Amino acid sequence: MNWLTQLRRRNDLCDDLSAEIRGHLEERTQELVEAGMSPAEAAASAHREFGNATLIEERGRETWHWMWIEDFLADVRYCFRALRKNPGFTLVAVLTLALGIGANSAIFSLVNAVILRSLPFPEPERLISFSAHNWYPQGGFVAMRSSLRTVDVAAYLEGEGLNLTGQGDPQRLYGTQVSAEFFSLLGVHAKLGRVFQSGEDHPGSDSKVILSCPLWQEKFRGDPAIIGKQITLAGVGREVVGVMPDEFQFGSPKTQLWIPLAFDPRSDTYWRRDWVPIIGRLKDGATLEQAQAELQIFQNRLFTLFPGKLPSSTWQPARVIPLQQQIVGNVQPKLLILLGAITLVLLIACANVANLLLARAASRKREIAVRATLGAGRWRICRQLLAESVLLGIAGAAVGLALAWIGVAWLKSELPAESIPRLSTISIDPLVLLFTTAVGICTGFIFGLAPALQLSKVDLTESLKTGSKNSVGGSQRLRSGLVVSEIALAVVLVTAAGLLVKSLWQLVHVNPGFQSESILSARLTPNQAFCADFSRCQSFYSALLERVRALPGVHGAALVNALPLNGRVAFIAARFEGYPQDTGNQPEPLIFDSVITPEYLSVMQIPMLEGRGFTASDSAPNAEPVALITTSTARKYWPGEDPVGKHVRAAWEPENPRDNHWRRIVGVVPDVREDSMAQTLPDWIAGAIYEPYSAHAVLIDRRPATEMTVVMRSSNDAASISGALREAVRELNPEVPVTEVQTLRAVVDKSVSASRSIMLLFAIFAGLAISLGAVGVYGVISYSVAQRTSEIGVRMALGASRGRIQSLILGHGARIALMGVGIGLAAAFLATRLMASLLYGVTATDRTTFVAVAILLSLVALAAASFPARRAMKLDPLVALRYE
Amino acid sequence: MSPNNPRDLFPGALEMMILRTLRLQPMHGYALCQFIKRASDDLLQIEEGSLYPALQRLLKNELVTAEWSVSATNRRVRIYKLTVKGRKHLAHEVSAFERMLEGVTRVLAPAKS
Repeated sequence: MNWLTQLRRRNDLCDDLSAEIRGHLEERTQELVEAGMSPAEAAASAHREFGNATLIEERGRETWHWMWIEDFLADVRYCFRALRKNPGFTLVAVLTLALGIGANSAIFSLVNAVILRSLPFPEPERLISFSAHNWYPQGGFVAMRSSLRTVDVAAYLEGEGLNLTGQGDPQRLYGTQVSAEFFSLLGVHAKLGRVFQSGEDHPGSDSKVILSCPLWQEKFRGDPAIIGKQITLAGVGREVVGVMPDEFQFGSPKTQLWIPLAFDPRSDTYWRRDWVPIIGRLKDGATLEQAQAELQIFQNRLFTLFPGKLPSSTWQPARVIPLQQQIVGNVQPKLLILLGAITLVLLIACANVANLLLARAASRKREIAVRATLGAGRWRICRQLLAESVLLGIAGAAVGLALAWIGVAWLKSELPAESIPRLSTISIDPLVLLFTTAVGICTGFIFGLAPALQLSKVDLTESLKTGSKNSVGGSQRLRSGLVVSEIALAVVLVTAAGLLVKSLWQLVHVNPGFQSESILSARLTPNQAFCADFSRCQSFYSALLERVRALPGVHGAALVNALPLNGRVAFIAARFEGYPQDTGNQPEPLIFDSVITPEYLSVMQIPMLEGRGFTASDSAPNAEPVALITTSTARKYWPGEDPVGKHVRAAWEPENPRDNHWRRIVGVVPDVREDSMAQTLPDWIAGAIYEPYSAHAVLIDRRPATEMTVVMRSSNDAASISGALREAVRELNPEVPVTEVQTLRAVVDKSVSASRSIMLLFAIFAGLAISLGAVGVYGVISYSVAQRTSEIGVRMALGASRGRIQSLILGHGARIALMGVGIGLAAAFLATRLMASLLYGVTATDRTTFVAVAILLSLVALAAASFPARRAMKLDPLVALRYE
Repeated sequence: MSPNNPRDLFPGALEMMILRTLRLQPMHGYALCQFIKRASDDLLQIEEGSLYPALQRLLKNELVTAEWSVSATNRRVRIYKLTVKGRKHLAHEVSAFERMLEGVTRVLAPAKS
């Protein structure tokens, strides 16, 4: 019989049963009357023989009911009554849980959006990436595209800056170059128009562009007639072929448009420059393993295809991994650490509510005893109590969800979008709802179980005696144990937060090698074509510098091609004079090459350690090529020698004795944090030099630097200077956009924003943990004072001083605090090493932090205990003695 | 307190007796009760009421069916009838019970040597 029929028939069946039982009793009574009994006697006898009719009828019904549901509903009704009777308790418990659960849901929604949710493309599981070193020369990609049989591949290159002109003020746009099959491989379609078609990544047929939806709406007012029109990007006309849907996002959220990569074998971008990441889609029937094997073979071939030497480690080890893994790989450990930390907060909240329940248990002993007397078994009482705590858990989850909503909005605005992929997609989706509900129910069980077991162990005679003191000795130990674990968990979290705070402190107090105060920077990006004639470019910049220097309040202005800490890496492959030439496989080292105007060092207040800085004459067309070198680079390539007078050159320049491309080192400057506050240079950059801004200063693209950042030392406010700067640029060349106008202070701050937001999250977690822990200590000590009121009265009557009473209570608090702190420190010692990768300048077992946390938590616990201690001290012994 | 009559030998014994009785002929609850009492020579003092939860369980498991009709004494009664499934179940249970009984008897029998 299926359950639906059961449901329909259930009531009939139950009616049948009672009719039947009535019939049975009547029949028996009648029989007995016939045998000579009086009707009343007969009825009584029939009932006696039959047993408890109501109970039996109920038991008969139970066969048909979903017992647990009905019982549960009854329990829930009862719970509502019980919880309503005690609104203070309910409010505190629900709020405590809501904090814990809400924070968990918010972090989980982050984990869900970033890690769990599959990529928003068809058959996302077939999308792959190549791990380890997913950068290939464009020529390598073209070879790969035509030779791989198990995978379709596409290439993309982010961060192509393009000037949009002819549409009002010139605008700098963030573009991504893609191979023709990029969109079709992902399986996405255009919202308007079409995506790129095969063949559109060949030079000559590549002057197309696809717009992102926000750009289309802002800049072109959502005009559907845009398709087929020409727009001018970087001085070149491109036909708009499509607009992508709003929700399409791949890679950087900054991308505003897509243009085709142009694979030109004659260009030096084909092999040497602009290597590209590759994504792939497994062909039908192919497996990851097959793709892996094929890639391995292909990569060996790639070494022979490459026109030149490559370090043998370039693509080792070759490993094909799911695309999703590649995208989230970096953030996954961090997010899991966050999730782990927030779970600890939830555990503390659970321990707190368990404690509240235990405290309430004392006053409910009689109620429970009455229920037990009326025949409720231990399991039945336990279930009732558990239902109550689960109900609390669910209520906590409901309120927590509202908090999570706020939390998600906060996370979205606070976390750095560049370092967390898919950040903008965080939301409270069905999975988060499910998670929250599950957490609510689970926490209900977790914090409810111990109190329920404790409370259902009733001694009937003892509890029912009127006026018996509601002593619960065993539960006091349980309560103290819970608070000890709360403190221990809080210690772990506070230690983690402390380490992160210290890291951040170290990080922001690192001397970056330059003075960041009162410097304003702005990026100027003339089109490549404008600078094809270098003298035109140079005169634009020198005229601009002249105007900027004349602005009121500006004390100095200079240009640099790559501002430190700003994410740009300007580099060349270099050869150092006298440094052992590579004999075999070792390619030339890549070094950071800052192209600057003479005043740069003084504006940034980078001191000269040795030799001289640049002068205006160093930029003259036939001046001798010169360079500055940083201390660590000099020490690395010319150890123990004086670098001034030595030479360095770009490695690609032909060794023609008539062309003197060697640059003479004229001075030494200290290291500057170019990459991040944590490290001077990226791992793959071996050193750093400076060159004067001139036609000689060519970078890896073998062109003189076109895009420069102007830095201005000024005592005036940034807004007025930037307005004047824009005005000056517009007058000199109305096609040059001015972007990234920001103070150097802001640049430095932004470079530590990821560390700061993680620190902030942990600080919030730690704050929650400390407050919950303090509430826990306060609760357990207050309760024990209430329990021991008569005892305290006796002690006072026997002559104990008030001070003695206070220290008795404080001692209890101190014992709990010490145990909690001790256990917590041990746990923190083991746990904090998980977060070693998040730390800077501090070890995971930093002694100062551990000691400080131990002292802090002990003080907080003692402070929390001091309130009830003072109350105990002030007790009137007469009142205390009579206290029941 | 166990839900079954304290003198029930083991869980399921009552059901087995009900099924066995219904195999003779369909009957209503009261008759069933009297029959079992008489047949056991009142050795098993079954609380009459306990019959009904047992009958509900059998109904639920589709081992018996029930229908309202009118008895010989002109009462409206619910007549229980064994189903095919019930018949099979009974045979199975009885043989299992007999095996168990034999085992218990052997253990309880005085040692032969």
